[in-house]
Amino acid sequence: MTIIPDLKLNIKKIKEISGGSSDVLINEFVTGNIHCALLCCEGMLSTATITELVLEPITNIDAKKDSHELFHYIQNYLLLSVDRPEAKNYDSLFRLINSGFAVLIADGINKALAFGVQGYAVRSISEPSGEGNIMGSHEGFVETVRTNMSLIRRRIKSPELVLELFIKGEKSRTDLCLCYMKDRVPPELLKKIHKSLDNIQLETILTTGYIKPFVESNNFELFSSTGTTERPDVLCSKLIEGRVALLIDGVPFSIVIPKLFCENFQTLDDYAFQPYYSTFIRWIKYAAFLISVLLPAVYAAIVIYHPELLNSTLLMLLVDAEQKAPLSIVTESFFVLLMYEIIREAGIRLPKPVGGAVSIVSGLIIGDSAVDSGLISTPLLTMSALAVISGFVIPELNDTVTILRLSFLIAGGIFGLFGISILACAVLVNICSTEDYGFPYTAPLSPFKSAGMDDTAVRAGIQKMQSRNFTVEEYHE
Amino acid sequence: MDTITKNQLSAMLLITDAFTLFCFRGHICLITATGFLCGTVLQFIMALPLVKLCRNGGSVEKCGKIVQSIYLLYLLLWGGMLFSMLWNASDVIYIPYENSNGIWGKLLIAGLIAIVCLYSSSTGIKAVSRSSVIAAAVGTICLLIVTISAIFSSEWENILRTENSDGFFNEISRGFVLSGGLGSFAVLISFTKGDALKNTIYYFSGKIILTAIVTFSSILVAGGIMKITEFPVVTAAQLSQPFPVQRIDSLFLIIFSVFAVFSIAVQSLSAAGLLMRIFPKFKHFRTTSVLVLMIGSAFLFSGENNYNILYAITVAFILLVIPSAVLLKRSIKK
Repeated sequence: MTIIPDLKLNIKKIKEISGGSSDVLINEFVTGNIHCALLCCEGMLSTATITELVLEPITNIDAKKDSHELFHYIQNYLLLSVDRPEAKNYDSLFRLINSGFAVLIADGINKALAFGVQGYAVRSISEPSGEGNIMGSHEGFVETVRTNMSLIRRRIKSPELVLELFIKGEKSRTDLCLCYMKDRVPPELLKKIHKSLDNIQLETILTTGYIKPFVESNNFELFSSTGTTERPDVLCSKLIEGRVALLIDGVPFSIVIPKLFCENFQTLDDYAFQPYYSTFIRWIKYAAFLISVLLPAVYAAIVIYHPELLNSTLLMLLVDAEQKAPLSIVTESFFVLLMYEIIREAGIRLPKPVGGAVSIVSGLIIGDSAVDSGLISTPLLTMSALAVISGFVIPELNDTVTILRLSFLIAGGIFGLFGISILACAVLVNICSTEDYGFPYTAPLSPFKSAGMDDTAVRAGIQKMQSRNFTVEEYHE
Repeated sequence: MDTITKNQLSAMLLITDAFTLFCFRGHICLITATGFLCGTVLQFIMALPLVKLCRNGGSVEKCGKIVQSIYLLYLLLWGGMLFSMLWNASDVIYIPYENSNGIWGKLLIAGLIAIVCLYSSSTGIKAVSRSSVIAAAVGTICLLIVTISAIFSSEWENILRTENSDGFFNEISRGFVLSGGLGSFAVLISFTKGDALKNTIYYFSGKIILTAIVTFSSILVAGGIMKITEFPVVTAAQLSQPFPVQRIDSLFLIIFSVFAVFSIAVQSLSAAGLLMRIFPKFKHFRTTSVLVLMIGSAFLFSGENNYNILYAITVAFILLVIPSAVLLKRSIKK
């Protein structure tokens, strides 16, 4: 609905739409002999900024013929703020008010002027909590999309970097920002992502999980084909490779499209250390992933069905330990892994001081007493702990790894290595079928791209990697 | 259209070939190994009309419904043969549930493999081809370990033992039949990027190397007890132990299971694709139907010695006669 030119009716309509909400402030005043009103949302703007930059100059305007002349004067002769959009209907008017703009309406004109004087309380830039790093930047994304945009812009000053702001969410009217390098991004990918985003029909967008289903394929995928990062430097490296990122206002994470399986094992520190050390660390991560998923299952399968794989000393040691435990190996393993998940969940949800206490109770009291009482065998607890700790090496895959670990344990416990092999086939096929926008998740391993091995099997020198101007388009099928 | 690379094609087909070799019943001697290799060369020569057909823009998919039906029937029968091989070979490979539960255990194992194959086939040719490459790579590593172990257990005089041979031409015939997976080759070659001839040479070269490694290491290790060995390749793997106090039989179990899944999945995938061409309205449960028919046809081969002249003629018909006939028909039309 377009804005009503009559000020009184206009204000009445605004109050009606807002339902008399207490935080919508309407300040009526006269300037240039025209009756006006300045609308804002309490707590969303900076009082100092609005007083100094808007209120002071706007109330000292000489008499004007009509409101059109007044708006023309304000727009062309007063530079009250750098961001000065216009609103022609109530939808955009309320979006601006609720985004922290001060909005000016006047008698006799069917539009409104907005001034960007946002000043709501925001969390300051701090170190990312989930993506630890030794040698790189210690800045992480915050909840404000515009701050996050500036964090990216500071790192890529090229005019090729495009930051497209748009709004989604029928009720939340959330700001989203699509980021890409226009000279690197595959045009087809960008087109398809735009199309996917057009299909978003949501009331609210509160986290990345609300958007992901719209930009991922609808097939059942064990591993997510879109990545998330809370580090602006990591995001910049992805943008340079021709990927597309999506920032969401209110979420300190960005979505990266497309994502490849091998990227789960890459961190920014890999590029800070010597290539030979980074290669070593990368293979440690691959091993950690396999240990994390398979170790409890392989342990159960070997001890129950394939003891011939062990040498006699180790076999006797395990037999001796397992004989004392009252439960079967699979039950024991399942119990230990489930207990770990419960303790982990408790540690995350509880306040931090209590979370520390949970660690002490679980680690020292439950763990120690369970072994001492003979309820759980020491080798099994060691294997479970090793598997869990290995999972910490690749935190982004934690959810998938947890489910896979338990599934493989059941398969290995019932069918031995045959069960593990069969389940591994199904998982392998699932990973290989994961593909979004024509980018296979398993590239460059399968389909094999030898050039991609520079940053997968090994970590080649930076000069070599940057000289070939790699973009993700190379993996497109 | 979904296309695959020559590596993916070769991986899918070599897995099938390797699985067929693992399940090979009967004796292997030097003449057998030579016969197998000659059989493979013969297959290559016979595949040339098909290659020419592909290079001229033709394919099984573009042939009439009768030709497609023949290939479908062949794929179903070969899928059944693979299930039959799995059924027989699982007796000598230690699969926990199978060994302790008799026929029900066997059915359960076959059912599990069928379920995974069903899922694999339903994901499409790209997913199966990509995963086949990884499975083949893992299989190659495991096979290398087994082969290196075999070298330590080798008895070189076994090479000269030829008393078990049925004669050179019979061995060529047996080696020729070893590649029932050529039905899939005929279907999949047209989906492969690049020159059909180069892709075919690439695959057959891999096949010759694989056959040579598996058969010769089996002769070297199990040649002395070949008379009493039903599955020589499995026996050779069981006898090849690199460590004095540990056994690695389970490593072979892993390769066997993985290759079983992928070899059957490739057949069902090819068959389901043809079924779609023949009956375009049959959209749902195509792969399920194909697998059910394969399991059904497995009973036809149960307990049979599958390497006789009848099967050799069938393979030749699929590989040589039909593509030649199509080529001939095309040239007459022109």
